[in-house]
Amino acid sequence: MEEILSVKNLKKYFTKGGFMRQKETVRAVDGVSLSIKKGQTLVLAGESGSGKTTMARLILGAVEPDSGEIIFDNTEINTDTSSLKKIRKECQMIHQDPYASIDPRMKVFDIVREPLDIHGIGRPSERREMVFDALRDVKINPDDVASKYPHMLSGGQRQRVVIARSIATKPKMVIADEPVSMLDVSVRVGVLELIKELQNKHGISFLYITHDLSTARYVGHFISILYLGKIVEVGNIGDVLLQPKHPYTQALMDSISEPNPNNLHSEKKIRINSPLDIDVYHGCRFRARCPYAIEKCKQEPSLEQVGNQRSVACFVEIN
Amino acid sequence: MVTLFVRDLRVQYGSGDNAVNAVDGVSFSLEDNESIGIVGESACGKSTLGLAIVRSIPGGRVISGDILLDSKSILNVSEEEFTGNIRWKKIAMVFQGAMNSLDPVFTIKQQFEEILQVHGYSGDRIKTINDAVDAVGLPVSVLDKFPHEISGGMKQRAVIAMALLLRPKLVIADEPTTALDVLVQAQIISLLKKMKKEGMSLVLISHDLGIVSEISDKVAIMYAGKIVEFGTMQEVYSNPKHPYTQALLKSTPKIKGGLDLISLKGNPPSLASPPAGCRFYDRCPEAKERCETEPPVTKTKTGYVSCWLYEESK
Repeated sequence: MEEILSVKNLKKYFTKGGFMRQKETVRAVDGVSLSIKKGQTLVLAGESGSGKTTMARLILGAVEPDSGEIIFDNTEINTDTSSLKKIRKECQMIHQDPYASIDPRMKVFDIVREPLDIHGIGRPSERREMVFDALRDVKINPDDVASKYPHMLSGGQRQRVVIARSIATKPKMVIADEPVSMLDVSVRVGVLELIKELQNKHGISFLYITHDLSTARYVGHFISILYLGKIVEVGNIGDVLLQPKHPYTQALMDSISEPNPNNLHSEKKIRINSPLDIDVYHGCRFRARCPYAIEKCKQEPSLEQVGNQRSVACFVEIN
Repeated sequence: MVTLFVRDLRVQYGSGDNAVNAVDGVSFSLEDNESIGIVGESACGKSTLGLAIVRSIPGGRVISGDILLDSKSILNVSEEEFTGNIRWKKIAMVFQGAMNSLDPVFTIKQQFEEILQVHGYSGDRIKTINDAVDAVGLPVSVLDKFPHEISGGMKQRAVIAMALLLRPKLVIADEPTTALDVLVQAQIISLLKKMKKEGMSLVLISHDLGIVSEISDKVAIMYAGKIVEFGTMQEVYSNPKHPYTQALLKSTPKIKGGLDLISLKGNPPSLASPPAGCRFYDRCPEAKERCETEPPVTKTKTGYVSCWLYEESK
């Protein structure tokens, strides 16, 4: 199957401190490669500070990479204006917090219409119908909601408006950064279902960024686990989550609490150590917290293929 | 040794036409060394319920009902007595967004000392503080730091340590793991489990059914200001009776389970003008005409459910 997005060896370092303090380099994204097939969803999972959001910003050209290559729909994305225009039109974004990502002074209709105006899609007379179509696609009745302001909507409805805005331009890909983490449990599933439905209907590819592996399993096809700027495990989402091969993936799985009456009297075991005070950029980055660390881990493991579309960066075989 | 009994509690914000009953006739009980999970979505009144128990509702007041601690009402005692003998000594609270409830301009130690000072603690202050910090698995060196110098998980532990400082028998924890990373979340859960084992009673307020199943012996499911189902966690999770409880359990994605989730349509009703009958009426898959009147409360094996489906046949 053809790829919509292919990222190769992407790097972005940030420097903090400086004035009156020692400069410190943060390797936010350090040699990340990933690819998304047309019409599929790749989950990019990791804790805060793992570089997930920086990845999204790099892909959309909001920050410039130090090195590496981004190929979107057979076009290389660099600082060239035409490539930036292409990706910003054909790759849209759903942000985490629907209370912050839409302008409270704009009506729903104008919010969804804005990207059409910016990218000059359709004749102005056609845009009204395009906005209404997008709203219908996200299961919002345009006649009721189009003339409302965001404060008149619930969290779930707001997030649907954000999704309508992201699909109004008929993008080939959508980056969704924790799209349900701010929503109530009972409306989450509705939004996840909507994402799947839009994918089937319009063939949109998704990059789904999250730390919540149980919702990830529901929408994703493939998953990449990110730890401190490096991908530690990649594969088919069912394989990776049910049989993790990297100790970090295993710890993430251990940490999930699912509603299960047996939890009450069983001890919660997370296979992770409290961090050692060592240089995380020397050798395997997870070494400081890894319960399986061996001498060899002072060298840096590379991402090796271990099976069908499955790669892992670890010297130890944990199962 | 502590028991908590909440009877027909109503808490109101605003007044007159703008009055909103955020908690509307809530009853439950908690035995010695038990833990209860109060579960519900945003704006269902679960935080207000927690705040009512420590008598700290900003802008709201208890309009009816009673809260009994060890068979004595804590609503009738004077403010001085409540502050002097009950708040923080018998009941402590870990507030929501606790990470942000630390004062940025004081060190952690100064903030611990303030609590001891306000409550006129006469024992060995330094030892008490060190013990509390140690109990939550933090190094003592944390005490000399300012909040911005430590991580979110450490701040959360510090706030829990503060709640434990005067060795209260009952701790109310409002969303203690929200906004924390998954791994840190799991560590806080382990910590709460350990503290429970050591004899603490806990009221855990959360929207996360998974976390509640780790800690709570009993569970109360709240919807739009009312408890719709109450019972032991085991009973409610394995045999949910109220359609809302069933929907909540079915809408939680599980890693190993199937992908057949159920999503609820619509939104909870506005508490400013709640519907006359069952508050879940317009989202309920089982709704019938009779649901337009207040549903009866039916006893279950370990608690109660408030739904017409279980009306006792007479």
